[in-house]
Amino acid sequence: MKDFHGLIFAYYTDARLRELVSMRTAASLPFCGRYRVIDFSLSAMRNAGIVDVGVIMQRDYQSLLDHLGGGKAWDMARRTGGLRMLPPFGLPEYHRGNYAGTMEALIAVSSYIKDVNAKYFVLMLGDMCANIDLTEPMEQHRKSGSPITAICTDRADAEGFRMTYLTDENGKACQILVDAVNEKEGVLSLEAYIINKETLLELMETSRKQSLHRFHKDTLDTWLKEGGKMDIYVHHGYTALIRSVDSYYKANMDMLNSDIRHELFPADRPVFTKAREEVSTYYGVGSYSRNSLVADNCIIDGSIENCIVFSGARIASGAKLKNCIVMNDCIVEAGCSLDHCIIDKDCSFSAGTVLNGNERLPLIVPKGSNI
Amino acid sequence: MKKKLVAMLLAGGQGSRLYALTQSVAKPSVPFGGKYRIIDFPLSNCANSGIDTVGVLTQYRPLQLNSYIGSGQPWDLDVNDGGVFILPPYQSAGEKGSWFTGTANAIYQNLSFIEEYDPENVLILSGDQIYKMDYADMLREHLEHDAACTISVLSVTLEEATRFGIMNIGPDGYVEEFEEKPKHPKSTLASMGIYIFNWKKLREYLIADENDPNSNKDFGKNIIPSMLGNGEKLWPYRFKGYWADVGTISSLWESNMDMLTPQLIDLYDPEWPISARSPICPPHQVGAHAEILHSIVTEGCEIDGIVDNSVLSPSVRIGVGANIKYSVLMPGVVVEAGASVEYAIIGENAVIHAGAKVGGSPAPGEEKSITTIGPDLEIPAGSTVKVGAMISSVEEV
Repeated sequence: MKDFHGLIFAYYTDARLRELVSMRTAASLPFCGRYRVIDFSLSAMRNAGIVDVGVIMQRDYQSLLDHLGGGKAWDMARRTGGLRMLPPFGLPEYHRGNYAGTMEALIAVSSYIKDVNAKYFVLMLGDMCANIDLTEPMEQHRKSGSPITAICTDRADAEGFRMTYLTDENGKACQILVDAVNEKEGVLSLEAYIINKETLLELMETSRKQSLHRFHKDTLDTWLKEGGKMDIYVHHGYTALIRSVDSYYKANMDMLNSDIRHELFPADRPVFTKAREEVSTYYGVGSYSRNSLVADNCIIDGSIENCIVFSGARIASGAKLKNCIVMNDCIVEAGCSLDHCIIDKDCSFSAGTVLNGNERLPLIVPKGSNI
Repeated sequence: MKKKLVAMLLAGGQGSRLYALTQSVAKPSVPFGGKYRIIDFPLSNCANSGIDTVGVLTQYRPLQLNSYIGSGQPWDLDVNDGGVFILPPYQSAGEKGSWFTGTANAIYQNLSFIEEYDPENVLILSGDQIYKMDYADMLREHLEHDAACTISVLSVTLEEATRFGIMNIGPDGYVEEFEEKPKHPKSTLASMGIYIFNWKKLREYLIADENDPNSNKDFGKNIIPSMLGNGEKLWPYRFKGYWADVGTISSLWESNMDMLTPQLIDLYDPEWPISARSPICPPHQVGAHAEILHSIVTEGCEIDGIVDNSVLSPSVRIGVGANIKYSVLMPGVVVEAGASVEYAIIGENAVIHAGAKVGGSPAPGEEKSITTIGPDLEIPAGSTVKVGAMISSVEEV
């Protein structure tokens, strides 16, 4: 029996991501030139030896399924166990509307959870960029005897997280605060937990009976108030939650900073993703490139500056791109000038197109646009 | 399971003329063209031609090649009734095992592998050539002309012809005569070392050749001439397109540089992908001081210097003010700040420390001379490696 089993929440998609999520979940948003956001949680689990993982999804999961495939990229294509997709099943009520909260999502897949033969569950978000070394909190959890360990951050630049834990003199969580922006004390929850299986099932049962759906505001708040033990593990590395166009754009642009990028992609904890077997990138005779990240299989004859370029881009001579995110397989013809744009997959720009967004409001070019 | 065509890929060559680069790896697993290793070309050609059974004959330093090929998954060769098989020399019951003594002997020693698939025809490939070829088209001609053997040929210049095996063609279009490196070539059709044989015929000739004590056990020197001598039908398959044998440092460098001219060979054609097994790294970074001119760059690279007319494999790091010109940098190479690398091939994970100078550009009118640094070597800060040197060990640094 394997002790740890992973669960990744990929059901939630924040509406502030606008057109970027019209055809995908936040977890399958393309990131940093070649990845999808969910790769971080999957790779963290894989690097900690957890290859039995369920991914909880609810709507618009076509692109997510396509990305995950059989789980081979994360060594999760296993004869027994391995990667399991968990769309709403069995219970018709879960096909309607959105899950009201993490608890409802867990209850919707409760038959799966009950059948899992593991002592502990590791719960993580699918729309978070962080390279967490899970072996440390796993070890801490085994030793501490607390039924729950919360993985938190002490980084001032961690954006988008809303739950703060205050701790007692022993470093255990004692209180949960919501949206405590000005709180100096405490640590911010990354909404990642290690939890004993029987504890999880008990909490799910209580929530189901009382129709409480919110994991933090209902379940964990009550747990702490009733004196339940919760350990805290602090992750110090870069962390970003992808819940808005702003945070998506900023997190991508953060990758141009080598120090931050190395925190997210350290050599000893690689981030795995679906392979696109292809060719190196070609820079033509008259090309110009500065401060950019460029994936394989691009042909660059024009100029790029402060850009994140995914594979398959064709940037013609005389085209100028600045401060742009260019997703897979985009074609930019001669003389185009694009600034502060988030260009979704398969877009093409005919010669001379000019589009300018703003740092505060990057312009989204929806998937498949021909301009 | 009977197959129409089984491919046998000769990957045992030591590549002694590349010695600094092939001390610990076989020639076919030498990195090439940024993303690739040399063997990716024939393997991808097989997959793209619909061949699903490939035997890879290894002998020299096969470890890295074995793990590189693995299950064959990157080339979609991980199939149920076939796939890619590593075939090292082995010992049979009651016999003394022996190394492969020649190309024909290598196939002879694996007769039982081929028999398992009982193919109608067998394709013989080399593991040290860069080209894109549809073997299915070659097979079509082979069958159309009812040939015992079809040989891929390339039109070369009269001058080059003296370095190749040359096919002289008769009035009926079949091969009439084969001359190895003729002083006075009668034709300019050079054999590319790519053959399709009728399996029954090849089997007979391999067994006869094995029993001939005077034979070199070589396809070009023995099998083809004896087939011609017996009046077998040999058809020349005329290949048009890019083809390079990368057996020497200068041809390896030259062919890498050819990848910078997409008109020669299109690696971006989705209809004929060349696949590779590569580690997953972040996209390459073009730093704030970087200047990349007419080059190939692969994922995982971090560039903050000048890269000019060069080919960079994955995870190469170039420091601020470093200057890379007309060079081939293999995976994991580090060139520190202010160092210069010109007209050079740098082996995997070698480090060129700050301010060192490796190789140099030829003066106008001067013949270029390629400098080679073997894998894992470190060139000390501020030192100079002279033009044309081949550094293969720490002592030579």
